[in-house]
Amino acid sequence: MHRTTLTPRTIISVLHPHRPILDFLLPAFTHHPTHFPRRHNATAASAPPSPQPPPSSYGQHDPQGAKRRTPLSPSQKSFLDSALRVNQAGELAATLIYTHQTPPLLRTHPHLRQLMHHMHAQEAGHFATFNAMLAHHRIRPTAMYPLWTAAASTLGWATGLMGKEAAMACTEAVETEIGGHYNGQVRVLVRWMREMEERGEEVGDEVRELVGTLKRIRDEELEHLDEAVGEGARLARPYRLLNRVIRSGCKGAIWVSERV
Amino acid sequence: MARAFAPFALTCLRQRSRQPCLSILSARQYHSHEHASSSPFSPTEDAILSAALKYVLSSSFTAESLSLGAQDAGYLPISTNLFPSGAFALVNYHLVTQRLRLSDSFSRPDPSPQLNISDNVRSIAMQRLKGTAPYIPQWQDALALLSMRSNIPTGVRELARLADEILYLAGSDTVTTAWYTDRMALAGIYASAELFMTQDRSRGFADTEDFLHRRLQEGEKLRDAGSMVGKWVGMQAGGLIDGLRSKGVWI
Repeated sequence: MHRTTLTPRTIISVLHPHRPILDFLLPAFTHHPTHFPRRHNATAASAPPSPQPPPSSYGQHDPQGAKRRTPLSPSQKSFLDSALRVNQAGELAATLIYTHQTPPLLRTHPHLRQLMHHMHAQEAGHFATFNAMLAHHRIRPTAMYPLWTAAASTLGWATGLMGKEAAMACTEAVETEIGGHYNGQVRVLVRWMREMEERGEEVGDEVRELVGTLKRIRDEELEHLDEAVGEGARLARPYRLLNRVIRSGCKGAIWVSERV
Repeated sequence: MARAFAPFALTCLRQRSRQPCLSILSARQYHSHEHASSSPFSPTEDAILSAALKYVLSSSFTAESLSLGAQDAGYLPISTNLFPSGAFALVNYHLVTQRLRLSDSFSRPDPSPQLNISDNVRSIAMQRLKGTAPYIPQWQDALALLSMRSNIPTGVRELARLADEILYLAGSDTVTTAWYTDRMALAGIYASAELFMTQDRSRGFADTEDFLHRRLQEGEKLRDAGSMVGKWVGMQAGGLIDGLRSKGVWI
């Protein structure tokens, strides 16, 4: 920076200290291998119309990793806000359903102890994950928290009493909705990542990690779904009725939790 | 006619529902730690309002301070038209900048068992109250502006944001229904402490600090009592159910 080689650039900056330096318009008399690090806040609109490397190799040779980073837009923020709120509410409900299903279910089917314990432990892990995320990203929990607590406990207890098949049908219905819900979120986030990469921006670790976490949780939820079907969920007596009621209940709860 | 109207009504409903409900409580959206949040004021507003705040000591929270500030910042007095809420813009600017300034002196502690959230809340709230200290002689005017009907929503929202900011910086990680009750209680306590402060003539507002301390302790006790009652009820219910199950009742 403190070199005083006489280049067109230095001459111009001495003559016109407040002018933007348009030295790329001048013929190059001297070869100066100056490296321009890309600025953090440079946007596509303000960047000089210099030929840019293709997005795939963009930033890889950059010593400071100074790729552009655009803050999330308000609509993206509000999407994440409601998505994570719903996820926390969903995991709260799932944990409670398994908690209250387990005692009546194990009385009649003690061999399910392992499965129920495993599913409950996974749901509790998911719940803790989203609790931490909400606190970290300053997201409001749903205002319906007490209502979902009561509803999920009742649902778990009632289907547990109705027998193994009904309990498994409940798991199947809930996990179908939740799996689809997570899938939708992953799809949106992956689209954002693709758009950011196309624009040559850096996808922040926040979004990247979130996608990873959501995918892992979705896969675990869908595992529960398979296990429930394997344990005879489809044999539940009013299977279609149970399935429909629980699934529409889930949809309604998701709709409400996204908003309040 | 009804048919033509129905889609329109539906769109309105949909658009309404997109708006976050409970806008007062949803103090802020998803907070990204990768980007600094931008200032809520434009550079012009910032220049005028910060210059105008200097005149508050002499001519209070009035339109006069605002136009003097505009002249100081090199704008015509008429440019106070930028602020449709008039002198209230000055009050709001003070509240918002003081809230944002809190994160300069405090940073959210990492979760640990030794974390004393109540102590943190007290020191952060006191720091915020001290931000109003220079304007205490004029604060009655600000409170009068804050209690005007058109300004109440902004004032309440700002108070909610302040409570959220204090609890966040204090390290609270409650994400249950207590999220709401904590914020409401803290907002109430803060507002009453500020009111107390306008009458406080003690040195360094020591009385206000005591008042704040007592109110926060009371709030803490109430919170503990509430959670104890909840736990007790839960244990009794669980015991009852287990007892019935052991008697062979099918529940």
